[in-house]
Amino acid sequence: MTFDTTAETETAKIARGLRERDTELIADLVERCQPRLVRYLLYLTGSREYAQDLAQETWIRVLQRGSQYNGQQRFDPWLFAIARNLAIDYLRKKQRAVATGSLPDDRDAMLLVPSSDPSPFEAAARSEDAMRLARRLQMLPALYREALLLRFQEELSLAEMAQVLGAPTTTVTSRIYRGLAALRSAFEEDDSHGG
Amino acid sequence: MEGDNKFRELIDRSFVEEVTGGERQLIDDHIRNCDGCKRYLELTARTIQGFREFSFTSEPDSGVQVSEILAHHSETMRTHNVRMKVRAAFAAALSMSVVGSALVYQVAKLLTMPMHFDVAQVQAVVLVFWLLPSFCSALGLFAARGENRGIA
Repeated sequence: MTFDTTAETETAKIARGLRERDTELIADLVERCQPRLVRYLLYLTGSREYAQDLAQETWIRVLQRGSQYNGQQRFDPWLFAIARNLAIDYLRKKQRAVATGSLPDDRDAMLLVPSSDPSPFEAAARSEDAMRLARRLQMLPALYREALLLRFQEELSLAEMAQVLGAPTTTVTSRIYRGLAALRSAFEEDDSHGG
Repeated sequence: MEGDNKFRELIDRSFVEEVTGGERQLIDDHIRNCDGCKRYLELTARTIQGFREFSFTSEPDSGVQVSEILAHHSETMRTHNVRMKVRAAFAAALSMSVVGSALVYQVAKLLTMPMHFDVAQVQAVVLVFWLLPSFCSALGLFAARGENRGIA
């Protein structure tokens, strides 16, 4: 077994910096992670404005709870987990404000991208396949969509995804496979219809 | 068909998890002779490739804005922490004054007899030279401006 000592040093440095509330280090982290964080939140909430606000809130949480990061794992999944919890809480509050009906108990069920035209996926698509994928992603259950994005776009490992999603690795893997199967059959269908 | 399903599971796994070199070789050998699985692999690869073809543009000054907000927030938290530490230090100093004074008073009372002092004299000495200075020091700590407190 080999260890990436550079990565270990880097995460330990981040952990120390967060404990000491080192503003320079935090500014570096913001510069490095902000685009990915906003992108992830944009895909979760479907709104650039909300994504920006939630990203800001996430960084404030990082500043307040920085001592909880132990430096044993990469920083990004820890950051994404905070962002995800804030996004779910935010969407729950929003839904509570809009609907007077009962709320689903499952926190994950809150991750519903509101309909927008064009969707964040379509706006970001840079190829024909990506555009088709964007359309299909909008129709995919949020849990599968999130799992696929974390794996293939953010390139998190299965263990890191489990950390972000707060679910066992087996659940994470199953969500990826199911999402992938749905998208693949949609691609196949499009191809057979010449689209 | 069941055999194909097993290979398709393996193809999925090769994109999502780790597969061994032997398993990869199995896939390569199989798709050479199976058009269905070859198509399956191509579709999977295209689907995954699609995720890498989303190009997200973030607002250029978004990070700078966040850093400024965090710097301000950090300063507010630091001030709050200093205030909390001062309160704790004051409470500690005050309790030490009370406990210390009680001890000094007891010791002084023991010395009263051999040294022929009056109890009232001992009380006055403890009050003037121990209790009042201790209390004033604690009060001074509480009243001093943040930068003069020596508490970071």
